[in-house]
Order: sequence, then structure tokens, then C-alpha cells
Amino acid sequence: MGGDALTFKLFGLTFNATNIISGLVIYAIVFFVLFGMSRKIQMKPTGAQNVLEWLIDFTNGIVRSQMPAEETGHYSFFAFVLFVFIFFANQFGLIFNLSWNNAEVLRSPTADPVVTLTFSLMVITLAHFAGIAHKGFGGYLKGYVKPFALMLPVNIIEELANFLTLGLRIFGNIFAGELLLKLVAGVAFSHGALTIVPGFLLELLWQGFSVFIGSIQAYVFVTLTTVYISRKVSE
Amino acid sequence: MFVNSVLAESNSLYIGDLVFYIVTFIILMLLVKHFAWKPITDMMKKRADKIANDIDNAAKSRESAEKMAAQRQAELKNSQQEAADIVNNAKKSGETQRAQIIESAQNDAQALKQRAQQDAEQARRDALNGAKDDVANLSIEIASKLIHKELNEADQKELIDSYIEGLVDHES
Repeated sequence: MGGDALTFKLFGLTFNATNIISGLVIYAIVFFVLFGMSRKIQMKPTGAQNVLEWLIDFTNGIVRSQMPAEETGHYSFFAFVLFVFIFFANQFGLIFNLSWNNAEVLRSPTADPVVTLTFSLMVITLAHFAGIAHKGFGGYLKGYVKPFALMLPVNIIEELANFLTLGLRIFGNIFAGELLLKLVAGVAFSHGALTIVPGFLLELLWQGFSVFIGSIQAYVFVTLTTVYISRKVSE
Repeated sequence: MFVNSVLAESNSLYIGDLVFYIVTFIILMLLVKHFAWKPITDMMKKRADKIANDIDNAAKSRESAEKMAAQRQAELKNSQQEAADIVNNAKKSGETQRAQIIESAQNDAQALKQRAQQDAEQARRDALNGAKDDVANLSIEIASKLIHKELNEADQKELIDSYIEGLVDHES
């Protein structure tokens, strides 16, 4: 797709500048949006506070539907930040898709498997730690031989599959969405005025659909996150 | 495509992004928790408490209002009863007063009538007596006039004597 990735090496690790720049922009957007919405907090909510409270209720609802109320604790906060970040990251590439010197500078970080697998890894790690913290190390290990010992390899594969599918699902959706946007844009500019009008309409249509996909994927990601955590902390 | 996208052109997996995203996401969580999540959830909790309190208070005040309404109703019933009693008493006393007034009026009328009858009787009797006297006097006068022509001195004297005798008889 958009040519080379802008990679650079630092401390012996390879970094992708595209992801770093886009990520920083999205972090800034997420923080300032949430910061701006929580400035004037009143007992009787108005305007932005209503939106923020609705959002919090929404993610709390996701968490509460998966685990008992006394377990929700910090997970609702994690789910809230995760949802807002992934939502903005998914939509980001629909609006900004900047290439410079034949290399991408701005796009959805969630269209990169490394980033999505990072979040997937974070979620799975959190789930396993939560399981150990909640049931003790013995109880956590016993979870692998349930319902009986023969299921051990299946359970291990399942954990691995959870990690991969959680990250690759969102990567596939967002990556495909952006790829199609680029292809449609390429078609639109290929034959001048003849293709620019239908290309424009098609692009508009697909962008609208991608907004929908991005929201759904953010919701699915957070829902699965809570499912994986709740499976570890509860019987 | 997938391999391309993961390994990029340099054919090295950019693990650095993993570290970058984990660290920055944790920083974002800390910032959001401090600036947005804490104040908002605190306020939501406060509001939930306040609403619960308000509901309790509303239930309490409704109860007291109901009690008051029942009290008012009872008082109203009492006052209605009282009003009815007052009207009844007034009616009764009016009735008795009416009866008394009628009775006294009847008595008065009776007395007046009696007096009038007595007066009339008296007048009649007086008139009758007066008439008797007049008749007597007239008859005496007529008689004396008649007699005066025919009686002489002696007879007249005898007559007067007989009269006087009669008077004496009459008086005794």
C-alpha cells in the first residue's frame, strides 16, 4: 500500500514512525476531548458532561453485562479508555491519511497488526494477571485443566487464539477499510472528470460504512476484552 | 501483504511500537483517570446518592402529606357534622320560638277578645241600664204629665206618699 514504512532504530528496537506519529496525535485528541468534556462538572449535567456520562455508562454497561458488579472495579475504567482510544484510532484513518515522500505519515494505528496485537497482548496479559490475583496461582493453573485434564492443550491453544483473533480482527477490518478507501481514491483520479464524480460518491459511501465498522470494532474489542477478563476472574 | 505490513521494508519487526503503545497507553490512562474519570464518576456517584436520598425524602413527605390530608378530611367531616348540628339546633329553637310566639299571640288574642267581650257586655249593660232609667224617667215624666192634668192636690199628695213608701220598701 502506501510505500515504505518509516522505520528507525532506537535502543536496539525498531520503531515505525507512522504509528508513533499517528498514535501521538490520537492520544492528544483522546486526552483533550475527554479533558474538555470534563471541565464543568455539575450535579445537574449539561452539554458535554451528558455525552461523557453517556459514554461512561455505555462502557460500564459492557463490563457489567460480562461480570458480577463487585468484580467490575478498575476494569470499567480500563474498558472506558480502551474503547475511546480504539474508537478514535479507527475513525482517524478515515479522515486523515497522509503520505509524504512515498511513505505514510498519518493513518489509523489500528490498521497496523503490530499495534492491534499490542493492545491484544495488553488485554490478555491483564486477563491472566487478574486471574492469578483473583484465584491465586494454583487456581489460575487449574483453569487450564477444566473441565478435565485432557483439555489442557485445547485450552492453551485457545488462549493463543484469543490473543491472535482479538488483535487481528480489528486489524483486518480497519486495514481493509483503509485499503478500499485508497483504491477508490485511486480510481476516482484515474480518468479525470469521468471518474471523479462516481469515485467521490463511492468514497463517501464507503467512509460512512467505515465509520460504522470502526465503531462496531471498538465495541467488539472492548466486549471481548471484558469477556476474557471475566472468564479468568469468575468461575 | 501481511508479512509486508508487519515486517516493513527493513524486514525487521518493529517491536519498538509495542513498547511505545504500552507505555503511552498507560500514561493516557493515568491522565484520563486524573482529569476526567475521577471527577465524573465521583459526581455520578454523588448524584446517585442524592437521587436515592431524594426518593426517600419524597416517600417521607408523601406519607406526611397523606396523613395531613386524612386529618383534614376527618376535621372536615367533624365540621360538617357540627354545621348540621348547628342548623338542626337553630331549626329546633326556631320551631319552639315559633310555637311560643304563636301561643302567646293566641293567648293575647284570647285575652283581647275576652276583654273586648267584657267591655261590650259592660257597654251593653250600661246602655241597657241607661235606657231603663231613661225609659223609667220618661214614663214617669209622661205619667206625671198625664197625671198632673187630672190629679188634684190631695190625690197628688197621696200619690207622692205612696211613692215614698214604695221607695222605702224598695230600699229596705
